[in-house]
Amino acid sequence: MEALNAADVHERLRTGSGRRDARLDPQEAEISVPPSFGVLCALMFVAIIVQSTVLQSVSLRGAHASLVTVLLVWTGLRCGVVAAGWLGLIAGLAEDALGGSGTDVVGTTLAGFSAGLLSVRFFSDSLPVFLTAVAGATFLRGLAAYLVMEIGLGERGLFHRLSHEWAWQALLNCAVAAVALLVMRVAAHLRRERA
Amino acid sequence: MVAIASFWDERKLLVFVTLIILACAAMLLELAAVRRGERSPFDQFVPAIVTPVQRAVSLTFNAVIGEIQTLAQAGTLGRENAALRQKVQRLASANERLKDQARENVELQRLLRLAQTKSTLATAADVVGYTPEAARREIAIDRGWRDGVRRDAVVIDDRGLVGHVIDAGGHDAHVLLITDPTSSVPAYLRSTKSWGIVTGTWRRVRMKYIGQDVKIRPGETVVTGRGEIYPGGVPIGTIREVDRKDNALYQTAVIDPAVDFNSLRRVLVLETR
Repeated sequence: MEALNAADVHERLRTGSGRRDARLDPQEAEISVPPSFGVLCALMFVAIIVQSTVLQSVSLRGAHASLVTVLLVWTGLRCGVVAAGWLGLIAGLAEDALGGSGTDVVGTTLAGFSAGLLSVRFFSDSLPVFLTAVAGATFLRGLAAYLVMEIGLGERGLFHRLSHEWAWQALLNCAVAAVALLVMRVAAHLRRERA
Repeated sequence: MVAIASFWDERKLLVFVTLIILACAAMLLELAAVRRGERSPFDQFVPAIVTPVQRAVSLTFNAVIGEIQTLAQAGTLGRENAALRQKVQRLASANERLKDQARENVELQRLLRLAQTKSTLATAADVVGYTPEAARREIAIDRGWRDGVRRDAVVIDDRGLVGHVIDAGGHDAHVLLITDPTSSVPAYLRSTKSWGIVTGTWRRVRMKYIGQDVKIRPGETVVTGRGEIYPGGVPIGTIREVDRKDNALYQTAVIDPAVDFNSLRRVLVLETR
């Protein structure tokens, strides 16, 4: 039996018995600073304008992509509960003022707040987490709108038709979210390359 | 002593409660305004800022799409030679503009004829935006009560019925499309004069409460019946399929709307009777 002294054991453990693991090597990482609330509000304004004009010509089985939902979820994951919650409230008010008749504000607020809750548990740049959160937020917003229409406006029997639309909208939103996240990653990569 | 880690710390809870109270208050204000047929404070403030931007974006987008189409058409001619290509491109561009003007002219003539046949006053309006979320089917137009647009005014285009005005601001108004499930239009089949109620199903419309003894054929035209809001005889669409059950009191028909709601650009607002 080979006798080992303490210094030898420490050295072998530190170097992994002579094998180097690339994953343990230090990597350059960019510290990402979340945008200010003013910038987020400006982005939300642009999202609402684009969504209510240009994106209306793109539909999948009657459903339209919701940039507002994607931006809310991204804000939630990146900036936390408070910013996403307030942004959701402001976006919902704006959407209702542009024709939602009160069906959007609660849903957007809840969606923003819920996405913000995820930020303490998950890595905000993870694509699967982002897409799952976007799909969840789409259904949450749809469900809130359905409840307001059912209870507040007295419209009955909408669930079946609305639920189909949520599914298609979730698919579209996930596609938009994936493209947006990939574009942001490429842009960050290019910035690093230039630096 | 063991510290209890709480996910819902005090600050988050305070923010959550505040946001929910504000959101519910805003929702109740909106719903109350909808029931009264008025605009909530947000509805008066936000469109005043957003509608001009929407209008500018819509016009720019339509112009860009038009130019892209023009360039695509000119691109096929570009193989011949470079000099000719430039000339053809200019001609194609000018031609498209003329075509657009001709199309617009025909459209306006049709609208004018339609307005004259309805023997009522009408206001032409451009569609500047759609509702951002899909739960409601509404459009925003660039005419408001200063232009004579009132609540419950009927909105048509050259192909048929679009919807009716649900609220009007100074320079803009919201129109509830007939594809919205909360919309109800009295209507009848043109051939048999059988009555029913047309409601929206988001993508199409559905005619309910048609008597069981009525024979409905696909392709038949459905028009508005004279009612509290709507004038009679405005085309709504054509029958796509019929849902008839032997044990039901009424039959229902699915209708393809006459109007293409994804490409609405210009509409006519009829004066409220």
